[in-house]
Amino acid sequence: MATARKLQGGELSESEAIERAKQGDADAFEALYDLHKRRVYSLCLRMTANAAEAEDLTQEAFLQLFRKIGTFRGESAFSTWLHRMAVNVVLMRLRKKNLPIVPLDDPLESEEETSKKELGGPDQKLAGSVDRMQIQRAVEALPPGYRTIFVLHDVEGYEHNEIANLVGCSIGNSKSQLHKARMKLRDLLKISRAAKAETH
Amino acid sequence: MTCREFQEILPEIVDGGQSIEQEMHWKSCQECSDLVADLTVISQQAITLRGIDTPSPRVWNSIQIALRQEGLIHASDGLAVVPALGRRWSMQWLVPIAATLLLSFGAVDYYMASRQQPQAQVAEIRQPATVADSVNAEDSRLLEAVAVNAPNMRATYEANLRDVNAYIRDAEDSAKNDPTDEEAQQALVEAYAQKNMIYEMALDRSLR
Repeated sequence: MATARKLQGGELSESEAIERAKQGDADAFEALYDLHKRRVYSLCLRMTANAAEAEDLTQEAFLQLFRKIGTFRGESAFSTWLHRMAVNVVLMRLRKKNLPIVPLDDPLESEEETSKKELGGPDQKLAGSVDRMQIQRAVEALPPGYRTIFVLHDVEGYEHNEIANLVGCSIGNSKSQLHKARMKLRDLLKISRAAKAETH
Repeated sequence: MTCREFQEILPEIVDGGQSIEQEMHWKSCQECSDLVADLTVISQQAITLRGIDTPSPRVWNSIQIALRQEGLIHASDGLAVVPALGRRWSMQWLVPIAATLLLSFGAVDYYMASRQQPQAQVAEIRQPATVADSVNAEDSRLLEAVAVNAPNMRATYEANLRDVNAYIRDAEDSAKNDPTDEEAQQALVEAYAQKNMIYEMALDRSLR
């Protein structure tokens, strides 16, 4: 059921806004947009790493929502319904651009190189040295396929079975790509930290 | 269990479900312990990226334009911008402002059509594009009117006007710098359309 949250300074609950939006109420549309715009836009931005494109996709997601709002029956949470719509809008755009949504299950580097790196000399842990800005930049630098899985799972909280359904891969593939995305992020964060240490 | 064996199985177990043997390995192995710790930090920090960004007002303005064009929305009842007495006439000052903005669209349209003309003629037409600066005093009047009867909307209108004025200034600068830049011309038209939408919304409220 839709959460009975107060919108617009306490004048309108989300469920009331939804019912009024179904009648074409402009204020109700605006209230729903204000409530959910950050979540949708952040999702689009994280998955595309491009602000202009993310704004276009946000616009498209909300337009689809408002066109279909008459069909919303409340079987799931409104936010879940909107979020799923936004994810599909982004994935469709990535498919149109022929960008890999889920990369083929081949390693980024040879197993030997991976072993050397992981079993090599002592290295400092990331704990306590990673802030939001750093991880944000590292995510932007991920290849698109890895970024998609990482954003859907670690940022947005989708389970692997949901991701598998959304992107059309197996659960095992989703887990494998997530792991590779995290490993790549680990490398990026350590490189960034080393570069920062050199300048000080 | 070796480190290689542990790291091969790590994708399956990193978020839980590890066996006792696997747990014993990474807890006793410094390299694997550090790896698990790092991946956990990354996963935990990822959540801080959720919902932190805000789209520009352009997005909502574009959505509104599309919804109105598709006939999906109409102005709501209540929340009139000015008190009932003298409501109709006291907001009529918005009409000439909206008309001025529409004339600006016409000027920019003419400007776009004339971009192939000699520079001297283009320079003469350029002047109307700066009309955005002259309506700031009117923006203040609009905000005062909004604040009277819909104070909870005032901040939203103010933010939208601030952003759309900045958008207009940027678009004007780009158009002046390169009169042949089609994207700059289009951006200027869109910027005026967005500002017109804000005034239309305020006018819609006042006519209830």
